[in-house]
Amino acid sequence: MTSLSNKKESILDLQKFLGKEILVKFTGGREVQGILKGYDQLVNITLDRTEEFIRDPQDPLTVTEQKRYLGLVVCRGSSVMMVCPTEGCQQIENPYV
Amino acid sequence: MLPLSLLRTGQGHQIMVELKNGETYNGVLVNCDNWMNINLKNVVRTSKDSDKFWKVETCYIRGNTIKYISVPDEIIDLVVEEEQTFKPYIPKTYDNSSSSKDSSPRGRGRGDSSRGRGDSSRGRGESTEYRGRGGTRTRGRGDSSRGRGESSEYRGRGRGRGTQ
Repeated sequence: MTSLSNKKESILDLQKFLGKEILVKFTGGREVQGILKGYDQLVNITLDRTEEFIRDPQDPLTVTEQKRYLGLVVCRGSSVMMVCPTEGCQQIENPYV
Repeated sequence: MLPLSLLRTGQGHQIMVELKNGETYNGVLVNCDNWMNINLKNVVRTSKDSDKFWKVETCYIRGNTIKYISVPDEIIDLVVEEEQTFKPYIPKTYDNSSSSKDSSPRGRGRGDSSRGRGDSSRGRGESTEYRGRGGTRTRGRGDSSRGRGESSEYRGRGRGRGTQ
């Protein structure tokens, strides 16, 4: 019942990330990081000082370490696949071996 | 057993999510909704080829990008308990809020009545009274200004005010 009642707002609480840097992955393979400036209930997102990760030309679904600067952008919610804060996000060794 | 009630029961448990692009996310399910959008914490993200790994504190995944979710077996025992208290989802009637005041003309059908009003405003005189009461007041006036006599007064007044 709780999940039915909060139909209007997203379960994603972006409020706590306002002004912080977040990583956004899009359907199709693009990946950007930037400072969260605003959002709405459809998870449309505005990012400032955005950088896009350049993708591997051989495999567009994976990204490289290279970046290009985009600046202020609006991300459309319907193509947002994953959102996470960049703080506390790092590459690690295989934890399953 | 409904897929989403199984997933709801899995809140607080370790789950594995594979996305359509092949990436997997292992983490504790914090929250999920009716679109299968999910929030995870203490996540290990694995690349498509399982050659790169990332540690992520929290992340949000949009439901429509999920291929499948693997949940621990012990959830199956918990979900039975919840299903006994689960109320099936009954879709809300479309205009529950707007037509709740006038209870009597419900039987005529909601979708039709709105269209019916539109037609009658073009066709018949009596309907004007009806429109006055209706919720689509602004549209009703707009139609009548195109169609009917009294509305010219309305326009006339408007012009009068303009000249003064």
